[in-house]
Formats: sequence, C-alpha cells, structure tokens
Amino acid sequence: MLLFRSEQHVGRWCHQWNRVRGGTLTPDQVWRLATEWYRDRLSTHWRPKTTAVAENAFAEIGLVGDFWKLPS
Amino acid sequence: MRALRLAQEMQTKTSKGRDKPALDPDLRLYIYRYFIRHGRAPSVVEMANGLSHPLKQVNSALERLSATHAFVLQGNGELWRAAPFSAVPTAFPVKIGRRSWFGNCIWDALGIAAMLRQDASIHTSCGCCNYEMVLKVKNDRLLRHDGVAHFAVPARDWYKDIVFT
Repeated sequence: MLLFRSEQHVGRWCHQWNRVRGGTLTPDQVWRLATEWYRDRLSTHWRPKTTAVAENAFAEIGLVGDFWKLPS
Repeated sequence: MRALRLAQEMQTKTSKGRDKPALDPDLRLYIYRYFIRHGRAPSVVEMANGLSHPLKQVNSALERLSATHAFVLQGNGELWRAAPFSAVPTAFPVKIGRRSWFGNCIWDALGIAAMLRQDASIHTSCGCCNYEMVLKVKNDRLLRHDGVAHFAVPARDWYKDIVFT
C-alpha cells in the first residue's frame, strides 16, 4: 500500500504502471485500520484474525464491497 | 490460499489447545521485542541463542509463523518482515523519540505507532512523484493530513504476493 498526494496522483501512478485503479483510503482510515490490526500485536494472546473478523474490521472503517473480500 | 488455510488450521488447533508448537509464541514475542529494543531484526542465530533453542527448531518455528503472513523470510532464511516491522530499509521510516524503525507500507508504518502507543512521525513520500509527505501521530491520534492511500491489489489476492499490495 502506497501513499499519494491526491487521487490525481493515484491515477497517474496507475497509468504509469499500466494497472487498474485499486482501492483507496484516507490517511485517517489507514490509521484506524493500523490501530485495529496492530494494537494487540504484543499481547501474549494474539492470534491471526479470521477472515470474518478481518472483513468486519474493514467494514467498520467503510471498506466494503468485492475489493475488500478476503479469500474464504 | 494454501498459506491462509494453514494459518487458519494453526489457529484452530491452537484454540483447541492441541498441536501448539511451544516455541512459536515465545519466538514471535522475542522477535518483536528485539525489533523494539534494537531497531533491527534479530538474526536466526540470535533468536536461537536468545531463546536457548537449537537452530533447527527455530527455523521450523519461523516457517510456521510465516504461515500467518505476519512473518516473511528472505531466501537465506533470515527475517524479511515481522509485520508491521521491516527487516530491510523501506520508504516508510517511523521515528519515535530518538529511535526509528521501517514499516513495510503506510499501513504498517502507522501500525508501528499504534502498536507502541507512542507519538511518532513517518517521513515518506508520494508514490507517484516522490513529493515529501510527513505523517504525525500524537496522543494516539493521527494529525490531520491530506493524501490518499492506495491498494493496487484486491484483498483476495494480497497473500499471493504480500510484498506487492
């Protein structure tokens, strides 16, 4: 996942690398995702997230739709 | 897909209290604590010495941890990434006080700040034009910042090549 100055710069990058435009997030959404994903990483009880838990975390920050579905 | 299934199987077995390789949780935490303390990844030999386990067992444990996708090994068996940390320099350096680490991407760079729960600054740049972009975390909040993060690959394909998402 890369960071860009604007949507226009995402478009330029996709054109430059001949790639279809993917999914975009605001910096605040990335922060919320990072917090959800890594906050408990130093816990002795940490376990990898199941697909359902991960998709629920995506949905809570507005990442819904086919692009954000993990393999079942 | 196979790796995800392995991770899920590992999780299922662990949750049932069976077949849990005893070294894995200790090694996982050892690696993270080493990164935090030293600002770099431990070598496999350092892991074996630090945990007083034979090298062969440590290598096996690393292989199992890699099935979670949080850990990725280099071709020579050494750590490449222990998410959110990168063992090699990246475009996502994270500075906390006088210490610094590398995140694997912007998600992971912010993840280091979230995991360590400390004020941090991330000096990165636009993926398109390399224009400087500095993100700051203060008091457990990301300070308002313009910009857009972009996933080039849909979530279902992330684990086909975790390095390019």
